[in-house]
Amino acid sequence: MSQSTTVPSQDHHEHAHPPGLQHHFIDMRQQFEASKIGMWLFLVTEVLLFGGLFVGYGIMHSKHPEAFIAAHTHLDWRLGALNTIVLLVSSFTMVMGVWAAQTGQKKKLIGYLTTTFLLAGAFMVVKYIEYSHKFHEGLLPGKFYAHQGDTVPGQFMFFSFYFMMTGLHGIHVLLGMVAIAWLIWRAQKGHFSSQYYGPVDMVGLYWHLVDLIWIYLFPLMYLLT
Amino acid sequence: MEHTHEHDHPITGPKTYMTILGALVVLTVITVWIAQFDFGAANTVVALLVASIKGALVALFFMHLRHDKFNAVIFVGGLFFLGVFLIFSLFDISTRQTVLPSNLKEPVQAFPGAPLGKPVQPGTGMPKGQAPVVPE
Repeated sequence: MSQSTTVPSQDHHEHAHPPGLQHHFIDMRQQFEASKIGMWLFLVTEVLLFGGLFVGYGIMHSKHPEAFIAAHTHLDWRLGALNTIVLLVSSFTMVMGVWAAQTGQKKKLIGYLTTTFLLAGAFMVVKYIEYSHKFHEGLLPGKFYAHQGDTVPGQFMFFSFYFMMTGLHGIHVLLGMVAIAWLIWRAQKGHFSSQYYGPVDMVGLYWHLVDLIWIYLFPLMYLLT
Repeated sequence: MEHTHEHDHPITGPKTYMTILGALVVLTVITVWIAQFDFGAANTVVALLVASIKGALVALFFMHLRHDKFNAVIFVGGLFFLGVFLIFSLFDISTRQTVLPSNLKEPVQAFPGAPLGKPVQPGTGMPKGQAPVVPE
């Protein structure tokens, strides 16, 4: 036993790591599975972060239904539906990017990632149009609410939740764009292969969660009855 | 570690992803269409139900949870605690109303916020002849 202890360290310097394998993992599969568990734990914290806002929304909505229903008519459901479709398609192109990485198709990977990035940008453009319209009308959260001619009181509450929830979601979209741009850069450098595509998969999971949160935000914000 | 072999699962192909995208777009149309009907108190429940079907499709297919039991347990565990948070908060909110003056069965002499010495009427929570207070 005492003799064999020197063998691994010698072996280590001669042995070439597969590209992308970190020093502290046994093999690619262990590295992939470990980072995936970490990613899912992070996604759970994200669910709970948004969950607090969703619960707050549920409580205030149940206590002031008239104010929420009156306030939501200031939103254009068509823009919300458009953004829903944009995000769903971007989730599709993201997962196609993961597929391209799994099958080792570099050009397709870059193509799908770029499409996802552009769709995320389109989402933010629509969001910008919506936000600037609300700023113009004085439909702002809390004490900043300055809309004229309301017949139902308390509509500022809806806009507090609207801006906090879609705003936090929008920040996640922007961070996702940064992550996707990073993936495009690495893909162009040829870092990814069918053996090593963990980062594409992890950013993909994050991107699908951002899509998933919007799936709930859309009916709750735009389609109240 | 039971889940380590899951890396060897067959790779899901573009055809499946296309089908799921189609289903998600159809469900979005249903979300918008169903919102014009009034189910009364069940409106939000119906909207959340359709959203949850969409969410399940995204999680199972796009996020590969159907081949990934270990991480599915982590994710569903998180959702479970979100459910506990939501349901117990709503229990509190919906049962708290029974102590509002407007829900009293009989007149009472003393009630926080009521004018001193005057019996509070059931229904309005105010002395006779006075306008009801809208509870916040």
